[in-house]
Amino acid sequence: MFRSKTLLAIVFMFLMTFIGGCANDNDAAQLTPKEENKSTEQQVAIPDNQKDPASSNSQEKMIITVYNATKDAMYLVGESHVVVKNDHPAQTAMELLLAGTKNVDLLSVVPSGTALRQIWIKDKIAYVDFNDKLVKNNKGGSASEILLVGSIVNTLTEFHDIQKVQILVEGKKIDTISGHLETGEPLSRSEKIIKK
Amino acid sequence: MYRIILSLLLVMVFMAPQAVMAAASNELANVRWSVHKDAIEGTSKLRLVIDTTGPVTVKGSLNAKTSPNLTIDVKGATVGSIDSSVALKGEIAEKVSFVKKSASSSQIIVDLPRMIEESDYRVFTLPSDIANNKSFRIVIDINKPVPKASYNFTAGLKDKMIVIDPGHGGSDSGAIGPGQTQEKTITLAIGQQVQSLLERAGAKVVMTRQTDVDVYGPNASGAEELGARTKIATNNKADVFVSIHIDAFSNPSVGGITTYYYQKSGYDAMLAQNIQDHLASSGIMQDRGIKVAGFYVIKRSEMPAVLTELGFISNPDEEKLLNTPKFQQQMAQGIVQGLESFFAQAARKGGGS
Repeated sequence: MFRSKTLLAIVFMFLMTFIGGCANDNDAAQLTPKEENKSTEQQVAIPDNQKDPASSNSQEKMIITVYNATKDAMYLVGESHVVVKNDHPAQTAMELLLAGTKNVDLLSVVPSGTALRQIWIKDKIAYVDFNDKLVKNNKGGSASEILLVGSIVNTLTEFHDIQKVQILVEGKKIDTISGHLETGEPLSRSEKIIKK
Repeated sequence: MYRIILSLLLVMVFMAPQAVMAAASNELANVRWSVHKDAIEGTSKLRLVIDTTGPVTVKGSLNAKTSPNLTIDVKGATVGSIDSSVALKGEIAEKVSFVKKSASSSQIIVDLPRMIEESDYRVFTLPSDIANNKSFRIVIDINKPVPKASYNFTAGLKDKMIVIDPGHGGSDSGAIGPGQTQEKTITLAIGQQVQSLLERAGAKVVMTRQTDVDVYGPNASGAEELGARTKIATNNKADVFVSIHIDAFSNPSVGGITTYYYQKSGYDAMLAQNIQDHLASSGIMQDRGIKVAGFYVIKRSEMPAVLTELGFISNPDEEKLLNTPKFQQQMAQGIVQGLESFFAQAARKGGGS
């Protein structure tokens, strides 16, 4: 009996090491930048019955993560939305970003009246074209500009086929939104602004 | 009970070599790369992604023996259909080559234009992601290194050339407070006080603007206007560049002082910390700390530079403070004291190393 208890303990430790190792691997995966490690957690979050091919297309769901600012203007926080699956998820993500947030702990940083003109993806770069309210209704301040650029870029780079984002206003590249950050070339995800 | 446990153990022992055998037929299959510019921090990194047909383990090391390179030892995959070398034609890396070591191991060698620090690269693996049509991958991230500083500072403000940039101006009012205070007015008032304090201490000061004007001209592009400001600093061979701004946010209760820098000269973080410490020491406003940002004027200027945000104009209390000569004087003094302690610290560091 003693021996089997000892063995049981050995097996238990072995299993714990194994499970522990797996958990660490997951942590490592979560720490890796999103552009190569998209939405693995999000897919886990989709209930199995919704993945069932037997269920009709109209009921298929997708999860879109949108970034809004913390109330102290320090960080961005991702909010997940479960929406009906469509063939233009990047556009849906921008529409959700422009619609603002219902989370009382977060604030939208998109200037009022900003509308999406169009969005397209080419060579893993999303070209996202807004109306001129993005600039004209911008209230200034570098904290706001950082959070605005970060929220657009980080929301779009959640998608595995988008690695960079080119912001456009009325169809044209702009050097800057409010005079601090440069927006004239495609930008990649900024991880450090995301609240951990 | 004992038998069950024993058989469990046996199964585990046999599973391990199987995993190794499965890995032996793995290959490095494909390579792709791209340079990423962080949307906020403005820093660039090269990302190399190598697809593998199965899981592998990787270990990176920096080597300077013949020419600088980053070598990644790959266990569990040989060189397969991948190109033997790919030119990366960049400032960050020149070439990546793939070398077969055995039937189950290989090396990835990234040639670098100059040696980098251990903290400037990262190598990791990712599992396959069938839903997104991705195989097992090796990811190599290499940061664009900060060039070695070539500055050599002496202590004291006397004879230093300092360019002060009052943010916005002319057609660009900057942020506007709830009481209609314009950012461009406050940045100019504080900038002029900094100028007079510095000149009294024997420094030479050049202002990017002395009045309420656009520096390049009205209706210029963002790059023309901001470029005109950094050009003044370059043309005057400034020792340091200080851009003065006032922040804004949609939540009126947010307030405080932030100093931004972009690490390019080896002295930018030191300058930012010294100025922020002296600005925040008054305790009038919250200390939001120093932060990295790829702002045009601090990234494109050659010398150590900061962009300091002296409170939030969108905060009614801070907007009132910003209009008082006393507060403006305190902020100007904070910047000047910060500059003085920066030159003292930079002189101690010496030699631009």
